[in-house]
Amino acid sequence: MKNFLNSFAGFLPLGILWLSPLAAGLVAVLYGALDEAAWLALFGHPQLWPGLALSMGTGTLSLIISALLAFWIVAGLYGGKLWPGTSGLMGGFLSLPHLAFAIGLGFLITPSGLLARVIGSVAAWAAPPQWVTTQDPYGFSLVTVLVLKEVPFLIWLISAHLARPEVTQMLNGHFRVSQSLGHGGASVWLRVFIPQILPRLKWPLLIVWFYGASVVDVALAIGPTQPPPLAVIIWSDLNNADPAVNARGTAGALFLTAALGCLVLLFMFLKRATLPSIWRFFTRGPSRRRTPRITSGALLLFFCAVYALVFAILCVMSIGTLWPYPDLFPSELRFSAWAQFLMSPAPLLNSLSLAVASTLAALALAVFWLETVPEKLDAVLLACGIAALALPSLLIADGQYLAFLRLGLNGTWLGVFLAHLTPVFAYVFIVLKGPYRAFDPRYRAVALGLNADNYRFWSVVKLAMMKPALAAAAAVGIGVSIAQYVPTQLIASGRLTTLPIEAVTLASGGSRPLMAVFALMLAVIPAFAFIIASRLGRKPL
Amino acid sequence: MTLLLENISLTIGDVLLVKSFTISIEAGEIVTLMGPSGCGKSSLLAYIAGDLSPPMYGNGHVTLDGVDLVYLPAEQRHVGRLFQDDLLFPHLTVGENLLFGVPRGSLSKRQHLVSEALASAQLEGFEDRDPGTLSSGQRARVALFRALMAKPKPCCWMSRSPSLTLSSGIRCGTMSLRICANAKFPHCWSPMTAKTHRRAGGFSASATRGT
Repeated sequence: MKNFLNSFAGFLPLGILWLSPLAAGLVAVLYGALDEAAWLALFGHPQLWPGLALSMGTGTLSLIISALLAFWIVAGLYGGKLWPGTSGLMGGFLSLPHLAFAIGLGFLITPSGLLARVIGSVAAWAAPPQWVTTQDPYGFSLVTVLVLKEVPFLIWLISAHLARPEVTQMLNGHFRVSQSLGHGGASVWLRVFIPQILPRLKWPLLIVWFYGASVVDVALAIGPTQPPPLAVIIWSDLNNADPAVNARGTAGALFLTAALGCLVLLFMFLKRATLPSIWRFFTRGPSRRRTPRITSGALLLFFCAVYALVFAILCVMSIGTLWPYPDLFPSELRFSAWAQFLMSPAPLLNSLSLAVASTLAALALAVFWLETVPEKLDAVLLACGIAALALPSLLIADGQYLAFLRLGLNGTWLGVFLAHLTPVFAYVFIVLKGPYRAFDPRYRAVALGLNADNYRFWSVVKLAMMKPALAAAAAVGIGVSIAQYVPTQLIASGRLTTLPIEAVTLASGGSRPLMAVFALMLAVIPAFAFIIASRLGRKPL
Repeated sequence: MTLLLENISLTIGDVLLVKSFTISIEAGEIVTLMGPSGCGKSSLLAYIAGDLSPPMYGNGHVTLDGVDLVYLPAEQRHVGRLFQDDLLFPHLTVGENLLFGVPRGSLSKRQHLVSEALASAQLEGFEDRDPGTLSSGQRARVALFRALMAKPKPCCWMSRSPSLTLSSGIRCGTMSLRICANAKFPHCWSPMTAKTHRRAGGFSASATRGT
């Protein structure tokens, strides 16, 4: 009975603050789907099918290319001299949000961008070339941004998996035994390592896939416009003043989710159909092909160069008030955009307060759950967390908008805080769960044997030992909250403005230096959070 | 066929672990190397197989029929190895594990080899079994036949043996390194008794003729 009460106590705050808003959102969006007229309007939308094809195509293509490049780079670098630094480097790349990266890359590759200016200065072009680079009709620029952002994420995940001592030991053994059986490095990766690593990455890969197919802010900044991806069409419907168009948007969000579900079913069918061929490939005999060390190193260098360029461009762009084509460097440098940004600090303060509050709440909820609820129930919460991250944010945010409308929470800080908590808690719990559950319970017995009470054990021993994991989870939480665009825009209903909202507005035709300032701030805050987390996680000398 | 280990030295940092070790192993001969733990048996095996990794370094020649293996990558040396753990691939069935190292060729011939190996290992009907469902003895047999089916030229394996005390009074480690030149499937695996004893390069070596 006591155990049940303890478990219930652990569940209660989580149920109120996280599970209820998530469930209410899903119920509200399903209720909204009962509107037959909305479905008729959706299927009558002239851009529905081209938009759907674009969403599915860009999401799937970016996933395939990202996974291929990530494994290519890891296979070439694993065990080499560059490998130890690669994981940390990827963590640094992650702190640059998708939107900030898209804005920086946009200025690099637009027809009047830096790349064209460099080529133009050599080829003596008088005017920018007539190239369609950003907002191209097939979404290649969108795919490029997604790939450049997701590859570091996947490498970071793979390296975290490979760094586990039992995995390292097992794979080293498998590598040696495969070599003795005549297999070269590339063959070992294809036939032994990847088949064992991929199942561990299925949920992150699903999240990356669905994110790419339903992303709104990056698509607005750099994606195709005629027609736009389905997520952007839905987004425009949800922001319309007409309730009938809003209802069409709700139906569209459900339709997009159902389409993604069908895509997963199609993938599973294809996997089953091709399994015999895949297995024949695994066992058709040794191949001496070696790991692609040179191309992997070159790819890593390329990623470093792109991220360094994007960051440098954002820095220069934020102070370059006059930077006409074909100048390689601004002709006028002023800090006026920074001054303007600091004069109206509301977006920064709102973003910071939401990030700090939602992260602290998520940490408290996660620790409370992990301390009071038995480990066997973690799987249920993990499934809810993965659902909160994998389902399109459009769907959850629209549902929460409809639910919060009845509760009067739209347009309030509390409403936006609850909407941020949905993804923030999911990430914080996923990051914290492993280290927290791996804590050796014998430390408690030792501490109690040394005359410490429960509180002293928890505060002096456990919290201190969990500090690196808590700091890492907090940094992830801050990064996730700062980057939230869709839920903030919908729930805030124009009454609360944050950094990504301003950045997207400026990206669609505003002051370029100010846009760069907002993009930089989007990157700087998570980067600071990660730096502080890494310092807190370091053992004292 | 002759496997010649010539002037092999192994170092870890500044510490010299094995100094100028030389031994010649003829076809069919099985040599057992014994020594206290940490004396370099596993490292010598890794040097022969081509995967000695830092901070261990080695030099000297490993010659198989006149070809120096030292300059070849591990996968081209055809050195069969058995490890202390069976290291069966968990994502493949027993049959697929056995097929893994069999040189490419007609699938039916390769499948026939698997059936033969399973029969020799007294594991008939285990082809589609998950390795995780096998006993440790069965797993060890699958690992042995997997190594032999890759048609290695020399075969090296580490085996755990009860603690031994050498004549000098040094407590010997629980592992021995055995090198068997011209390992032939499936005749390599037979109980051995040491016929001759000699000391070389810090190891105690014994040799016997295989069947």
